[in-house]
Amino acid sequence: MKPFLTRTAAASAALMASLLVAGCGGGATADTTPKVSISSVKVFGDSLQDSGTFGFKFTIQAANNPIYVERVAANYGQTLCNFFTFTGTTFAANTAKTGCTNFAIGGGRITYTGAGASPANPLNVGVQMATYASLGSYTASDLVIVDGGGNDTADLVGAYLKAPTDSAASYAALLGTLLTPTQIGTALAGGATTTGQIGATYMTALADKFYASIKASVLDKGATHVVVMNIPDITFTPRFQMVLDSIAAAYGGGTAGAAARAQSQALFQAWMTAYNTELATKFAGNDGVIVVDFYKGFQDEIAAPAQYGLSNVKTPACPITGVGSDGLPTYTFPTCTDAALSAAPPAGATGGADWWKTYAFADSFHPTLYGHQLTQQLIGKALATKGWL
Amino acid sequence: MKTKFLLGAATAIATFLAAGSALAQSAGSIVVYGGAAQITPQVDSGDLSAPSLPGTKIDVKKATSFVGGITYYWTDNISIDLPISAPFTHDVVGAGAIQGVGKLGTVKSLPATLLAQYRFGEASSAFRPFVGAGVTYGYFYKPKATATLSAITGGTPSNPTTLSMKSRFGATLELGGAYNITKDWSASLSVTKTFIKTTGSLSTGQTIETTLDPVSIKFGVGYRF
Repeated sequence: MKPFLTRTAAASAALMASLLVAGCGGGATADTTPKVSISSVKVFGDSLQDSGTFGFKFTIQAANNPIYVERVAANYGQTLCNFFTFTGTTFAANTAKTGCTNFAIGGGRITYTGAGASPANPLNVGVQMATYASLGSYTASDLVIVDGGGNDTADLVGAYLKAPTDSAASYAALLGTLLTPTQIGTALAGGATTTGQIGATYMTALADKFYASIKASVLDKGATHVVVMNIPDITFTPRFQMVLDSIAAAYGGGTAGAAARAQSQALFQAWMTAYNTELATKFAGNDGVIVVDFYKGFQDEIAAPAQYGLSNVKTPACPITGVGSDGLPTYTFPTCTDAALSAAPPAGATGGADWWKTYAFADSFHPTLYGHQLTQQLIGKALATKGWL
Repeated sequence: MKTKFLLGAATAIATFLAAGSALAQSAGSIVVYGGAAQITPQVDSGDLSAPSLPGTKIDVKKATSFVGGITYYWTDNISIDLPISAPFTHDVVGAGAIQGVGKLGTVKSLPATLLAQYRFGEASSAFRPFVGAGVTYGYFYKPKATATLSAITGGTPSNPTTLSMKSRFGATLELGGAYNITKDWSASLSVTKTFIKTTGSLSTGQTIETTLDPVSIKFGVGYRF
């Protein structure tokens, strides 16, 4: 036993000596290698995820202004660029830069019904996914991020609010893209309650449609790392706060106005919840899919701004540049630059030239760069919990 | 490696138990020992300061390392112990609102402790239980963050979020027993509880107050000079 003990004693002495060395230094470092190696990030969706189809991003313009999908891609050492470019009339493949994998287009919808609507228009997110599916398949080192439904919800709210003036023609037309004439006829004839409720039925069908697109064009094409964003609660965007305020005003303000405002907000939230619930149900148990609860995450930020480092969750940072046909203010992203904002802090804003860096909204419907960071962190948490990051 | 060492040490003590005893623990003795210790923090984490997800907490996992030290016998019953250990590498993982995200980073700790011990029984007793009390300086260094920490705090590979932990003093209590194997050789096993708090900081500016209060189990084989 003696040799063993001698060795132990010698080892102890050596260890103690090494400690004196180890005790020095203490610099903080980071090993940023993710758990899952991702070599390409594919993105489909709307303006929240558009890397520059229209030559700008739907946030504040700056030399370095990553949107959340670009931030997520960066976590895996990847970059993104827009696959499509807008030609002024239509969407063509980006020839200025090739190999781009961000197919998201501002204005994208699950069901696009605006100008130039057709089943082949890439403003349908499903068409974006089918476009990539026609070009190639997926591997285990692809990360896919899909969002949609926010603009669809905005369309539905707009059509619903027009019902008193157009005899529900717009509302019925939009519902008709997914529901049967009988379903719609019965609901509209049934009064205010069923007229509202049919919106939830539509939203559930919308989730089914989106699920089917993602299944056919992404999952069935071999993708094993798919992030699907649910619909954030758009009633808390400045735009829909204005819409709700106008509802309150139409009811004469006061208690009656507040009640009408609350009732409308609850209805629109019920629609989004119907969609989000269905989406979660559809993907439940699918190991290759994470459904990120953007709805709740966004609500949390609005409810406790200071906790999230936000100084303003009500006012858009970009200046108003016009008035839309709906009577709501419009904004111009290409001129809403970091330099322009820093040069003109609004009265009462804190942080000097950096005032806009803690605002939640760039315009009345889209997040600032910090808003994008918060969304990326929400996704980052989901990815880490899943073991993908 | 560690398991092998512990196994070897356990075999060694089993052999020694059969051996005779002598005056290894009398006044004026200096015992130098070597062994292993496992530190298990009993974490009570505060919330990470804003901006953050409300209720963001951390947990610090247990770590095992080599430990050595010197015990000086002031009298037959009172000794002063200075354990010196090799660095412990602890995993720092998400808890609370970020429960499940996994490892946020690792931090090395080097607990420097000075203990006054009271040993029961006679200097000639084969087995002597002891109690101790002292002060520990928890030195935390070389923190290394993960991609997960960056991802949940807005960092990127080019500008990763890093973490650090403040080194602090704490009080330590000890309970243990020593077995005199031969005149010069002894083996001891002790459990210590240290009351220590630290402040973790992120390069993104947030801080988190954390009570660590680790329980350590230490085993050593000593030789009297």
